[in-house]
Amino acid sequence: MSAIETENLTKIFGNRLIAVNNLNLRVEEGSVYGLMGPNGAGKTTTVRLLLGLLRPSAGTVKVFGQHMTFNSANLRRRIGYLPTHPRFPPKMTPIKYLSFIGKLFGLDNEVSTPRLSKLLRAVDLLPAASREIGNFSTGMTTRLGIATALMNDPELLIMDEPTAGLDPAGRKTTLDLIKELGREKTILVSSHILSDVDRICSHAGVIDEGKLVFSGTMKDLKKIVGTTSIHLVLEGDIDAFCTKLGQIDGIVDFEKRGNHELQISFNPEAAIAATTAEIMVVISESNLEVIAFSTGATKVEDAFLKLLEEDESRGFLRAVEG
Amino acid sequence: MTSSFWVLLRVDLERVFRSRIVLLWVVAAAFLGVLSTLNPETSLVSGTVTQGLSFFISIWSLVVVGLSASAVSEEKGEIADSVLSKSVKRHEYILSKFVSRIVLVFTVYAAISSSLVALALRMKVDNSDLYGLTFAVLIVGLALVALVNMGIMLSTILPNTVMAIVALLVVWYAMTLLFPLVDLDFLSPGSLMTRLPNIIQGVWNREEWNLVVSFGLLSAASLAISVAHFSNKDL
Repeated sequence: MSAIETENLTKIFGNRLIAVNNLNLRVEEGSVYGLMGPNGAGKTTTVRLLLGLLRPSAGTVKVFGQHMTFNSANLRRRIGYLPTHPRFPPKMTPIKYLSFIGKLFGLDNEVSTPRLSKLLRAVDLLPAASREIGNFSTGMTTRLGIATALMNDPELLIMDEPTAGLDPAGRKTTLDLIKELGREKTILVSSHILSDVDRICSHAGVIDEGKLVFSGTMKDLKKIVGTTSIHLVLEGDIDAFCTKLGQIDGIVDFEKRGNHELQISFNPEAAIAATTAEIMVVISESNLEVIAFSTGATKVEDAFLKLLEEDESRGFLRAVEG
Repeated sequence: MTSSFWVLLRVDLERVFRSRIVLLWVVAAAFLGVLSTLNPETSLVSGTVTQGLSFFISIWSLVVVGLSASAVSEEKGEIADSVLSKSVKRHEYILSKFVSRIVLVFTVYAAISSSLVALALRMKVDNSDLYGLTFAVLIVGLALVALVNMGIMLSTILPNTVMAIVALLVVWYAMTLLFPLVDLDFLSPGSLMTRLPNIIQGVWNREEWNLVVSFGLLSAASLAISVAHFSNKDL
């Protein structure tokens, strides 16, 4: 069953800006869905339409099979929402605010109080529990936003740029938390940080100029690139290494980026592990030091860029395509 | 009304009653009320009470303008994030704003005006009628409710607090000062002030009813427009 389903969803602001264009989105229950797109692609507008904060110009939004409207208070009872840069009443303390949110969701004190203290502990805000929210840093505000989104123990979590403004440690903790929550909840994460989506999502959609240009599993998204690649940062004589690379079977292409970085693309038919092992041997023989080794993220990035380019290149055809 | 309305109302009432501006208002209004009862130039209850109640129309209306015209617009950034993305209906939010501001203004007004009346009855020559005194206090209260409702309506419709405050000031002072000049007495708080001494002495006729009906309609229309607008507004 779909947790979220939109049909021909369109939002036009003031007859001037088409923010969401005929969007058909389906998020299955139990999935962690990453909604990716460049800035201004329509991610936040989509999220606000899903929550019933904006009225669609055309099309429909269904959450758990029910139409979402401005007054769907009961439906929102099942949803947790983390906005990009959450804004809360500045004079309230986290305890008071979470208690207020608990009451808005109709939770009894017996349920609300232990839950808010558990959440404040989980997001590491216990030491600041009696401070006014107005004095919080961006990271603390986001963490409070996460606690707020979980206060009603929602079945569906909608998170708009959850790692925006967080330091690396905060970012890691947030992503780990989302991954953990994804085991028992349906999650929609909107982000333009592709490595984040790659790390936590099982499914992804790419939105460009308000239109969904891809929707499927992360595996499907990576297949769009057609090759598997690794990214290396090396210390030493990289040119000599590059000449040896050409002799390894299974490598389709490699690109030198600056004096230390290499992007190596494999033939998808090749035995990746064996080819990677061969590369490591050559690195060792060439007396190079591996500073960094990574896979995946750039692949999602490549797929993302490829989808956007393809969408652009279709030009006027986009008008007649589904 | 569901529990969300009561939760929103309680939180908003707590917030506004604890604000410094309200505390200052109460202190200043009480001080001015005492001064007007001590004023030796007014020896009659009707004159003293008229002067005290008129302060609410002329001076304290500025505080009411600030409190009402900021009710929705000052929360603009956080309404969607912290309230309406939760289990709340649009009309519950906006009605909680109306009720909280009316309760606040009416509580302060009732406390100050009843103290003023009690002091005046003790210290001045009583030329008042009990019903007249009660009606005078209630009709000024009704004018203040109309001001609160217009303020919240403008706060809902206009894009920011400053615009809402300026617009409300223009409307209120136009009603007070200009409407009597163009035969719109029944809509003018200014003409209400000039009628207060007679009302306090028990005079009540068609003009007074016109004021009650027009302030009542103004309040109801502001409430209706505000709820209708906010219920269909993108956030």
